Amino acid sequence: MANYPGASGDGNSPGRERGSDAGFGQRVDQLGSEAQQLFSDARGAVEDLGQTLDLRGRVERNPYGMMVAALGVGYVLGGGLFTPLTARILRLGVRLAALPFVKDELLGMAETAFQGYQAGRSGFAPSPPPAREGSASADANVAGTPRPPSY
Amino acid sequence: MDVNAQQMADRARQFQDRVVPQIDEARQNLVDMNNRVVSFIRANPGTCLLGAVAVGFLIGRIASRR
Repeated sequence: MANYPGASGDGNSPGRERGSDAGFGQRVDQLGSEAQQLFSDARGAVEDLGQTLDLRGRVERNPYGMMVAALGVGYVLGGGLFTPLTARILRLGVRLAALPFVKDELLGMAETAFQGYQAGRSGFAPSPPPAREGSASADANVAGTPRPPSY
Repeated sequence: MDVNAQQMADRARQFQDRVVPQIDEARQNLVDMNNRVVSFIRANPGTCLLGAVAVGFLIGRIASRR
């Protein structure tokens, strides 16, 4: 049995008994008010946290991003952080993030290659080379046949 | 050769006439589905967030077991 201070009287003085009852009741009231205060403080803290995080507003503004963030939180909580799947996802993300920086370089290289190809084609355009008199190889060149070997 | 080119052009036009409405319809369906999903998420943010956390948890658990 709990022994509350002021709850046990000696039975000789009724005034003192009445005072101890008043002390016990006051103590119970104080406990009740403190519990109520604690409850309201906790509720206020939760409300403050909710207002600070502003989950509803964030979902309103960016629904897919919040879904992805929640997915990531769950993934980390599930212990998937240090796994090969995470490494693979990170590698893919780095490649995708580097793509805009590499894109210009790739386009420049492709353009250069295309220009070189066009220049090569125009260089081999059918501009008739100067024909040499009495040369079989020159005649063959003009005719478009392979040049015979010259010994 | 000229007839073939004409036939090819006709076929390409027929293909375009057949495919372009389907592409438009598919795009419209995707837009509608996106609107529905976004409105559902906005209407039930807590449910969706908790569901996403649960799905991520399951994926992380499966990934950590392998």
